[in-house]
Amino acid sequence: MLKAFRISFALKNTYRVNSILYSLKQIPLVKHLLPDALYKSRGLKIFGNVLSGIWEVLSAFIGKALYLFLMVAGIGVLYEQAPADGVFLHILFFLTLIGAFMNTYMFNPTNDKYYAMILMRMDARAYTLSNYAYTMGKTLIGFLPFTMLVGWLRGVPVWIGLLLPLFIVGTKLFAAWLFLLRYKRTGRCTNENLPPKVLWPLVGILLAAAYVLPAVGWVLPVPAVLAAAGLLTAAGVYAAAGIARFDAYGEMYRLLLAEKRSGLDVNRTVAKAVEEQSRKAISQEAGITSGRKGFAYFNDLFVKRHKKILWRPAKRVAAVCLALLIGMLLLFRLRPSVMERTNELLLSFLPFFTFVMYCINRGTAFTQALFMNCDHSMLTYSFYKKPRFILKLFQIRLWEIVKINLLPALVIGPGLSLLLFCSGGTANPLYYAVMPAAVLSMSVFFSVHYLTIYYLLQPYNAGTEMKSGTYRVVTGVTYFVCFAFMQVRMETLSFGLIAIGFCLAYCLVACLLVYKLAPTTFRLRS
Amino acid sequence: MELVIEHLSKHFEKKEVLRDIDFTFTKGKIYGLLGRNGAGKTTLFNCLNRDLKSDSGRFYIREQAGEREVKAQDIGYVLSTPTVPEFLTGREFLKFFMDINEKEIQDPRPLDAYFDYMGIGPEDRDKLLKDYSHGMKNKMQMLINIIARPNILLLDEPLTSLDVVVAEEMKQLLRNLKAGRCIIFSTHILELALDLCDEIVILNRGRLEEVDKENLDTGGFKEKIIDALREEEHA
Repeated sequence: MLKAFRISFALKNTYRVNSILYSLKQIPLVKHLLPDALYKSRGLKIFGNVLSGIWEVLSAFIGKALYLFLMVAGIGVLYEQAPADGVFLHILFFLTLIGAFMNTYMFNPTNDKYYAMILMRMDARAYTLSNYAYTMGKTLIGFLPFTMLVGWLRGVPVWIGLLLPLFIVGTKLFAAWLFLLRYKRTGRCTNENLPPKVLWPLVGILLAAAYVLPAVGWVLPVPAVLAAAGLLTAAGVYAAAGIARFDAYGEMYRLLLAEKRSGLDVNRTVAKAVEEQSRKAISQEAGITSGRKGFAYFNDLFVKRHKKILWRPAKRVAAVCLALLIGMLLLFRLRPSVMERTNELLLSFLPFFTFVMYCINRGTAFTQALFMNCDHSMLTYSFYKKPRFILKLFQIRLWEIVKINLLPALVIGPGLSLLLFCSGGTANPLYYAVMPAAVLSMSVFFSVHYLTIYYLLQPYNAGTEMKSGTYRVVTGVTYFVCFAFMQVRMETLSFGLIAIGFCLAYCLVACLLVYKLAPTTFRLRS
Repeated sequence: MELVIEHLSKHFEKKEVLRDIDFTFTKGKIYGLLGRNGAGKTTLFNCLNRDLKSDSGRFYIREQAGEREVKAQDIGYVLSTPTVPEFLTGREFLKFFMDINEKEIQDPRPLDAYFDYMGIGPEDRDKLLKDYSHGMKNKMQMLINIIARPNILLLDEPLTSLDVVVAEEMKQLLRNLKAGRCIIFSTHILELALDLCDEIVILNRGRLEEVDKENLDTGGFKEKIIDALREEEHA
């Protein structure tokens, strides 16, 4: 048994170390420093092993600490009507019941189980029992410090905190045993990621019991929790014997892991899911046609068949903005005191809208749809890559994304002027023009920006994987800059004029760059 | 017309995939490009199609009028996994292609004539390409690649995943197409190459070598090719 555990642990560790090394190789800059024979290097292996060891220890504690602090104690703080210790035990009790059959370890069809029991043909019983015992031991030790600490913080005596992990593990054992019995009786094996349908309403009821009852001031009395926990712990001990005696692990896992045979390659699974998703975005609606010609025809059909992902979100954002605008105007009526504050803000808050415009712009979604559902296939045709065709389509697409982004901007820009006017106005009429103009140019800026970096860096390969580090850096920097603008306080008029100037200059430079470079950069990555 | 490759090299990190390739492909022939898995067949095609920048060397077209650069419209590239714009119907894709290439296509025919030629039935012509079967997508891809009559047709493992009927139709089509252009057909299925191709070229240790096909019965020829490919292991 011990030998089985040692081998399986070494196996798990090997591919964990290899995944660490693989991730290191994906980091821009760092990847050039690493040797090609990455997985042969002894130094790197040792480094990976150290990280893997640290992770093994940390993972035993972090998740449990977070769970107790956030899900149990954190939410528990909100309930003031019931005693703190009662609330803590009440929530923990019901969540433990859910966890017992939703987080079993034993019935989770993971890759390491597939590798060990199916590919390496390890003895299923020895593998399962030793690893299950290890996992339960880890759960016990991982919970111990935190049930004591967090419990103590919520007024639960330390001795109860000391016993709680036994209750958690006992309940898990009991649930696992029930699932094993189910297999023996019915031949159906449980997959914790696809639990039997009857469990969902049960989870709902238990969740409601955990979080709703304390809100109305009712919690399980502490002695009742202790008695139930004691019973479940005892049941766990009984179940442990049953789990150890169970003799059909081999055939059960063969069924449970059968689906892994075809779907082990994570990249392929992800690529398939992405493909499926993209395909779904194409409208099946009959009667979509276009009277145009050439690239205009091509783009027209693309937009019409992807209305759902291209235009609908923009329309929704515009509608929400309109509702907010009307809401603000109503608020002015009801609470005139708001007007003064709003007026003040509007005169110094324009930089904030850089971030707002960033958030609502559809650039990323647009370019992603372009690639996944169009360029991904079209870029394999050489005629599509003729420079004049690339530029022609760029123009048409630029106009399209500008239109999409302008829709909400046309509500926000003039809306701001309207708010300014209704909240008391300003002496300088220039504000009424600069504010909407700045918002509109920001909108155009984001449209140009995203389409330009898409054409200049075309980050995907034929397998629709993102391959460009530079693209990631550029989008990351875009985010940070826009985020930083939230902190900027600048007089609206000056900021507005600077923003308009910058956006115009940027668009000009970006388009020139595309004209110069896109014919060579707009390619599938390999 | 000839496609001339001179000193073409390409490496990935330390692995030299293409090593100083020198080769001339002549029109009117189907070349079978044989190589083991990972030998660099796709890399060579990607370099010729300019999807990949080569490290050194050049390739060009030699005609009676002299040498000239290979232009995008000279090349048709058919991939093993057919890629078609799934949001269009077969007819829309074809119409779009004809529209934008109207100057280059010398003797345009009605759209339906092309579909007839490829054996794509009337009931499928107005279906979205996403609902096409694998074989039909492949036919569509092939159709788009041959209408413009490219001088060079690169085919990357094109028949491997087709059912026997479509594969046979495609073979016949390729035989009809070879006049006036070079067709380079990569595969690792030896029988297919022997059946279809006029010349056999081996991509071995990063180099292209032509295998002399004459005066050899099929059995002996096969042995010879396998021997040549096996050498790689001892290299």
